[in-house]
Amino acid sequence: MSPENNRAWLGVLPVVLVVAFSGVVPLMTVVNYSVQDILDVHTRFFVGFDWYRETLRDPRFADALLRQVAFSLTVLAIELPLGILVARAIPKGRAFTPLLLVLIALPLLIPWNVVGTIWQIFARGDIGLLGVTLNAVGLEFNYTQNPLHAWLTVVAMDVWHWTSLVVLLAFAGLSSIPAAYYQAAELDNASAWQTFRHVELPKLRGVLIIAVLLRLMDSLMIYTEPFVLTGGGPGNTTTFLSQYLATMAVGQFDLGPAAAFSVIYFLVILLLCWLFYSSVVKRDA
Amino acid sequence: MAHITIEGLGYRYPDAAEETLSDVTLDVPAGEAHALLGASGAGKSTMLALLSGLLRPSRGRVLFDGQDVTPLAARHRNVAQVFQFPVLYDGMNVLKNLTFPLTQRGFTKEAALQRARHIAERLEISELLLRKANDLSLFQKQLVAVGRAIVRPDVALVLLDEPLTAVQPSTKTHLRHVLKEVQRDLHVTMIYVTHDQTEALTFATAISVMANGGLLQTAAAETLYNEPAHEIVAHFVGDPGMNLLDAEVRGGQVYLGEDALGPMSLTDGPVRLGFRAEWVALDAAHGLPGKVLRRRDAGTRQGAVVGVADVSVVGQTIRAAYHGPIGELPRVSVRRFVGFRGGIRVA
Repeated sequence: MSPENNRAWLGVLPVVLVVAFSGVVPLMTVVNYSVQDILDVHTRFFVGFDWYRETLRDPRFADALLRQVAFSLTVLAIELPLGILVARAIPKGRAFTPLLLVLIALPLLIPWNVVGTIWQIFARGDIGLLGVTLNAVGLEFNYTQNPLHAWLTVVAMDVWHWTSLVVLLAFAGLSSIPAAYYQAAELDNASAWQTFRHVELPKLRGVLIIAVLLRLMDSLMIYTEPFVLTGGGPGNTTTFLSQYLATMAVGQFDLGPAAAFSVIYFLVILLLCWLFYSSVVKRDA
Repeated sequence: MAHITIEGLGYRYPDAAEETLSDVTLDVPAGEAHALLGASGAGKSTMLALLSGLLRPSRGRVLFDGQDVTPLAARHRNVAQVFQFPVLYDGMNVLKNLTFPLTQRGFTKEAALQRARHIAERLEISELLLRKANDLSLFQKQLVAVGRAIVRPDVALVLLDEPLTAVQPSTKTHLRHVLKEVQRDLHVTMIYVTHDQTEALTFATAISVMANGGLLQTAAAETLYNEPAHEIVAHFVGDPGMNLLDAEVRGGQVYLGEDALGPMSLTDGPVRLGFRAEWVALDAAHGLPGKVLRRRDAGTRQGAVVGVADVSVVGQTIRAAYHGPIGELPRVSVRRFVGFRGGIRVA
């Protein structure tokens, strides 16, 4: 190999360093922790896959995982159709369209713990607009006591927070469909539903795959907002994986089990996203 | 296949000061291949939208077989269109793309399938039927789009909006032939919009030339070429376009400067003289003195002009059919000419 060719590796070096320090090194540290029992800085034992076995047998982990998947599927099932619906309702190419898009995107710009705080106050039965209103119509709404109410509030918060992302993506997709496609559908005597099904949906496919992937990953990792809103309660009914993990790692300082948990958590997210993506890609082929 | 009648059609876009299309009257017999020829901005696309019903005219009427369809929405006119780029349903296979326009209008599934297969055979795309529309080449896609347009056996009118634009040059001719053939075989009334006169001349039996939102002339190719009704038609049709020179009529003779060219039965006054390159005779026994400036290769379009030269005649440059060398000093005479006043042909 000539020296010129070798020097080209220097060009890749920054990327290698960034990926190493942002991804590989922390991940390997976690993997390292996950196979040891760490008592203090100097006292540690190699324990193999014990922590993994323990985590997988932990019923609280199974519960949290189940809740996590249920939560992700629920918000996806709401945010995706709702986002498309809103995107279709936005008029294209008007003077106020950009302003409208900015307004719709506002929830995305709010810091996540602030989103939690907003809903924590908004849903309170004594002073919150939503809570007071629901109580006023006789629903006895209380998200700190009633698990169902807590769930509904967390889901509503996530929908409020993230539907905008789907709206923006879907709107971008819709804007790129040439008018001729709608005209052809009109000349074919296609109904509004058929136009959506056969013109818009196939053209939106690309952006919707991105939307699902982003929302799937993000919702599987949700932490801050429910932590601020419900603290995982009442009981553990809104405790999702990341919060259980934080309790274990930060609260109890069980580094070994927490590391094993993290690796499993990471693999679960990877697996779900891979399942979704490969099923989509396979249908294409 | 309907007989299309357009009466005094006008359209003004909202917020526009002037009409994009004004006072267009046109008659397209059932089963005719008609071309709308014009430069971009001439109003062709607006005209198409008014015919398909995607736009409502500000003035005038559109009749299909004598029936006023002006108030009807696009979906109720039974019109089909082929667009500049192939417009298909991406998610469907070719067969479904072909049957969709039929099943949407009450055809049974069996009848639709039979008709779709027949059309596919006609267009030689039978082997593509089960392929997904998205996987085809541009040319194949546009063929399927043509199929979708002619698949309804009772379609009133098929509109073609520069359908060869997206297709590669090598396949343009093929697609043009296919279009021409199915038009002839199925007797579909087709209106073909283009800015390319070769496409218009080879496809259509009658051509309407449009400019500035108006219709200048509707005629067969031959008539457009030899007897243009308007200066713009004279200039636009043919390659090269007509020579247009400022001349004067005095006592029944037309003069270019001080030299008489021939008789013209017009009242005295200025006239715009038009003549084709091949109507010019160089090397004539008598005529005006001239000089061959340069030769151009004009190809072999209408009238079989093979070689064309820029010729200087009494201070003006004209184009003339010519095969000789440069710089000769031939005598130039014009065998035949037409005259325009105010843009309109008067002689």
